[in-house]
Amino acid sequence: MADAKTWARVKSPWVLHFNSGACNGCDIEIVALLTPKYDIERFGIKLEPSPRHADVLLATGCVTHQCAERLKRVYDQMPQPKFVVAIGACACSGSVFEGNYNVVGGVDKVIPVTAYIPGCPPRPEAIIDGVLKLLSTISTPPKKEKQVQAHRAEPALAEVKQNGKQ
Amino acid sequence: MIAMIDLLLIFRILVFPGFTFILFLALFCEWIDRKLEARIQNRVGPIVAGPGGILQPLADFIKLLTKEDIEPRDTKKLVFRFAPLAAFTIMIFAMCFLPIDGASVLSSGTSIAESGFNGDLIIILAFATIANFLLFLAGWASANPYGTISSARVLTQFLGYDIPLYIIALTPAFIAGSLSIGVIAAGVPYILLAPWAFVLFIITMQAELEKGPFDVPHSESELVGGLETEYTGAKLAFLHLTRDVQVVFGSALVVTLFLGGPSGPVFFGLDWLFHTIWFVLKLIVVVAISAYITNVFARLRIDQVLTGNWKILLPAALLSLMLTITLVTWVYHPFGIGV
Ligand code: SF4
Repeated sequence: MADAKTWARVKSPWVLHFNSGACNGCDIEIVALLTPKYDIERFGIKLEPSPRHADVLLATGCVTHQCAERLKRVYDQMPQPKFVVAIGACACSGSVFEGNYNVVGGVDKVIPVTAYIPGCPPRPEAIIDGVLKLLSTISTPPKKEKQVQAHRAEPALAEVKQNGKQ
Repeated sequence: MIAMIDLLLIFRILVFPGFTFILFLALFCEWIDRKLEARIQNRVGPIVAGPGGILQPLADFIKLLTKEDIEPRDTKKLVFRFAPLAAFTIMIFAMCFLPIDGASVLSSGTSIAESGFNGDLIIILAFATIANFLLFLAGWASANPYGTISSARVLTQFLGYDIPLYIIALTPAFIAGSLSIGVIAAGVPYILLAPWAFVLFIITMQAELEKGPFDVPHSESELVGGLETEYTGAKLAFLHLTRDVQVVFGSALVVTLFLGGPSGPVFFGLDWLFHTIWFVLKLIVVVAISAYITNVFARLRIDQVLTGNWKILLPAALLSLMLTITLVTWVYHPFGIGV
């Protein structure tokens, strides 16, 4: 029974794409995944329009103060079990926008991230590779690491909320 | 002896050709649909889950069943929980009236013609309407603006298209001289006697199933997830499954009314097996036609959908009915065709 569960989860990850401040370069690479050349539906991956249906959140771009709360809310709307893939240098760390007056930083400052795919923008092959590596870890999820990151994310968000109120 | 019959009936309801068979048939048809869509778009389609990706719909279904089930605060809890399951149950029940293996699931008849009762055609059409109405309720109860808009569109669309659907479904009934699905399925394939009605029925069915180019209630570019937007987990799984069974039901209705249902040559005395094979083969043809129409035409606007319904399809359906009655009265029945 547990086997069937894991099998189904690995074979049918539905993804949601959220742009929290990207320059659109990464987003175009994600859209390229759906085209005949890369056809990500081979792996059963579907781009879902609603966070309620999604298993994997593809987050692109550094997180701006405006977007941080929205990103958190979209993440909260997803049903468990859920995973986040940070796509692009910006989403991984904030990249060149790190330290900007309107930028919180990478996606992992706000929500726990399961996989990082660096590149500016990463090639579609790299994204497919990253997502598949994520799927291969689903059967043995690195739980501790995730919790640590989630813990780390909380203070940053509190700070964001305060800044938003000011 | 009575115990034996009961066991057989329970087997027929639960396993073949009842619940389990219909479930897997629906998932199989979704796979065909997705594969054809991918091929038409020059893609490969699902390929990793099972041979050729044939287990993809099953994987989606199991995954959704095992996901967290979120109920947003403002939903109407009772309807939100009850509607998807009820719609699914009613669609499965409607499928049970179709002579899949040469007899409908609940019948004890021995030939195709005896597999129903007079008037079951109207009953299953009514079931399809009720299921659509439950889907409308499901979207309405989800307290989401997109779900509400989508529900309103579902209601507008299926209330309108039900009328031509019922009228055109009567065409084969007039030729067969009976409202029993069994009698209609046992006759010659009525596509030969009334091809215009077949074309009209396919178009109407496409609208009734909310498939392209009539998929305004599900247009992802405007309505996010349509009426499913707020649904997660098992409820979403059953909404998806309801849509799959609806597609199978619509195609099976086309097969039964116009393509002779399960009739075809049978060998070795294995009537039920060959009837099932013929039925499923014809079903696949209709599903393929439907998938082709969906992918080749662009989506209509909501006003075009309504105009098409009241100004084109309804008069066309009435004309088709008049033509059929004329032909039946003066040509077919006097010469003994199709009775
Ligand atoms: S990583 Fe590069 S392409 Fe992607 S959002 Fe940042 S700047 Fe744009």
